[in-house]
Amino acid sequence: MPQLTYLEAIRQGIWEEMERDPTVFCIGEDIGIYGGAFKVTDGFIDRFGPERVIDTPIAESAIVGAAFGASLTGMRPVAEFQFMDFLPCAFNQIVNMVAKAHYRWGAPAPLVIRGPSGGNVHGGPFHSQNPEMWFVHAPGLKVVCPASAYDAKGLIKASIRDNNPVIFFEHKYLYRRIKEEVPAEDYVVPLGKARLAREGRDLSVITYAAMVYVALEAAEILAKEGIQLEIIDLRTLSPLDREAIAQTVRKTNKVILLHEDVRTGGIAGEIAAIINEEAFDDLDGPIVRITAQDSPVPFSPPQEEYFLPKVSDVVREARRLHAY
Amino acid sequence: MGKKSKKKIVPGPASHGRSPGSLKPSAPTPSQRTYAITDYRLEKPTFTLRQVCVGDQVRYEIEGDLSAPVPPIRESKYLDKKQSIEIYRWMLLNRKMETALENLYKQGKVVGGVYFGLGQEACSCASAYALKSDEWLGPMIRNQGSLLVRGFSARDIMMQYMAKAGSPTKGRDASSHFGDIEKHNVVAPISTLGDLIPVLSGVALGARLQGRNIAVMTYIGDGGQSTGVTYEGLNFAAVQNLGLVLVVENNMWGYSTPADMQFRVKDLAERAIAYGIPGVIIDGTDACQVYDAAHEACERARRGEGPTLIEAKMMRMKGHAIHDAAEYVPKPLFDYWKKRDPIARFENCLVNLKKWLTPAENRELIAGVDQQLDADREFAVNSPMPTPESAAGGTWCEDGCHEIKPKYGMPKVKKGTGVALKQTESAVHFK
Repeated sequence: MPQLTYLEAIRQGIWEEMERDPTVFCIGEDIGIYGGAFKVTDGFIDRFGPERVIDTPIAESAIVGAAFGASLTGMRPVAEFQFMDFLPCAFNQIVNMVAKAHYRWGAPAPLVIRGPSGGNVHGGPFHSQNPEMWFVHAPGLKVVCPASAYDAKGLIKASIRDNNPVIFFEHKYLYRRIKEEVPAEDYVVPLGKARLAREGRDLSVITYAAMVYVALEAAEILAKEGIQLEIIDLRTLSPLDREAIAQTVRKTNKVILLHEDVRTGGIAGEIAAIINEEAFDDLDGPIVRITAQDSPVPFSPPQEEYFLPKVSDVVREARRLHAY
Repeated sequence: MGKKSKKKIVPGPASHGRSPGSLKPSAPTPSQRTYAITDYRLEKPTFTLRQVCVGDQVRYEIEGDLSAPVPPIRESKYLDKKQSIEIYRWMLLNRKMETALENLYKQGKVVGGVYFGLGQEACSCASAYALKSDEWLGPMIRNQGSLLVRGFSARDIMMQYMAKAGSPTKGRDASSHFGDIEKHNVVAPISTLGDLIPVLSGVALGARLQGRNIAVMTYIGDGGQSTGVTYEGLNFAAVQNLGLVLVVENNMWGYSTPADMQFRVKDLAERAIAYGIPGVIIDGTDACQVYDAAHEACERARRGEGPTLIEAKMMRMKGHAIHDAAEYVPKPLFDYWKKRDPIARFENCLVNLKKWLTPAENRELIAGVDQQLDADREFAVNSPMPTPESAAGGTWCEDGCHEIKPKYGMPKVKKGTGVALKQTESAVHFK
């Protein structure tokens, strides 16, 4: 099986969908001859032509609006955002025009809005955010946050085939750091199904995207102390896999919720509520949140390190919770 | 091997050097250029509106001459008798439906407010009439006439206002906030302004990918054109050479704010110059001017020559919505525009000048509209409200609820050229 980076897996996924389905096309800033700011669509314009790999003005509302309009005619647009930090430029199109379309007037909007999010690359306040919850809070959208290269390919393909608008967050820290075996053939990873990233009996860490690797690293350290972490990678935040959340809590009875997004209004709060609803009696300790602090993402490396959740945070909180 | 590579201009974006139709260089000095805007109007009002302080009161006053004689309806270059009468009938239906809605509101049968297109019926109906049935339209709140022309019934619109189970949105949204992608090809508007412009551009883009140049039409007001998305959407259509017909309805008021406080240019059509597209000015109360300008813009769109901006000048003859008595509008302005009523003048043109309708035929036509409206109103009033539970479901398109297929045929795609998927690393931002 070929080794692909997380980025190459996404590239291959979109490429295969464009080969498979003539209604799929790409639209965004600098995605053509330049191949995109992160080179996800590198080479696409030569293969598929400028008709299907469309460079746009710097106008995010126009990109989303045009993608939506094209989707109404039965196309499946894949719109690239240079950084997901720029989603607010098109916020009205996304949450009012696109997200509400099916509920209001029965118009399906099979489009994907994809791009890089996340920190730890010293991008500063406007190139490092994790804005997924703004969209989890808008009914009508699906929100996808892959952690592995295998999932990245399978989820982008599932997102393109989905009949709903999907906001696809690619963690830029993982783009070239994750390299693993990815099948060359066609497969999809269904939206709304979490993944067991590590099996363990003592306590659960529910997380997604780059934080999966923080949890995995912590698990190695804790394993040497005899504490076995179970790690759930949510893969999609909307729809959220309630059953997988309840199941792991029923098994380990102790849970840490970990995310790179800021604390207040992060998905951890929602998951805590779900655990309360689904598995309250199974809890043997308080639900612990490990998140970024409530602030913009700072630029300077020592500050950003302070801001982001770390392996040591998970180790410390897991020891504390294990002893509870 | 040995095959000479062919150079081809990408069919999408406008290539430079091609005249967009309105740019004409002039002689005087090398640093000066002049631009032409087509103006179909037979009358060019000269008055302006200004904010004045009178004692402690701030109000709007008119400066200029309001005594000009009422212009005739312009001779259409394209409309025949049958088409003219059809448009006239749509305009009547539009107005009478809104009168019926006003009455239903007073009877407490309307949920929320009512929005009127009074004085703007020619603009809604004659513009939408220029589209073919497989082309697309995105209405704004006052374009209820456009919805009628696109094939929705007065019953549909009345049920929307009464929030009935049988309304096009099944009670889920109000007023003109509905659409249909199967039959009527109408994009449902949202409340914020300008957002339909990129969306309709995208519809034209989708059609072009499927091998068709179609005309797509939407509207924006003198107020709404101030939004950023208006610029983004129209600029995108211009750059991509998409067949957008943007009707800028300058009805002089954005809620309570006069047009003079929205923009500095004399005519909004001037904006077209900056987009590099043709701009046209019409009298929005003259159905023939509206149709002719819309028809020409649609034909341009169908030839793949890109968007057109049409500024239709007229006056919103009621408040923003039914709750608004529009007391901020100087009274003489209503008097001036009442004389320029789009329906009365078109009726006079068809009955007295062209004699395409005898007085008896006209009475019959009006009676037919009334009859149809009575039936629609009865149906709408007596139709049930939605059940509370019908608020649930439908937020997402579930498996099998819609089949997505290209509306104009499967796009033709570039054959494989041996270009393979890249797996190389490149210099990028933020490694």
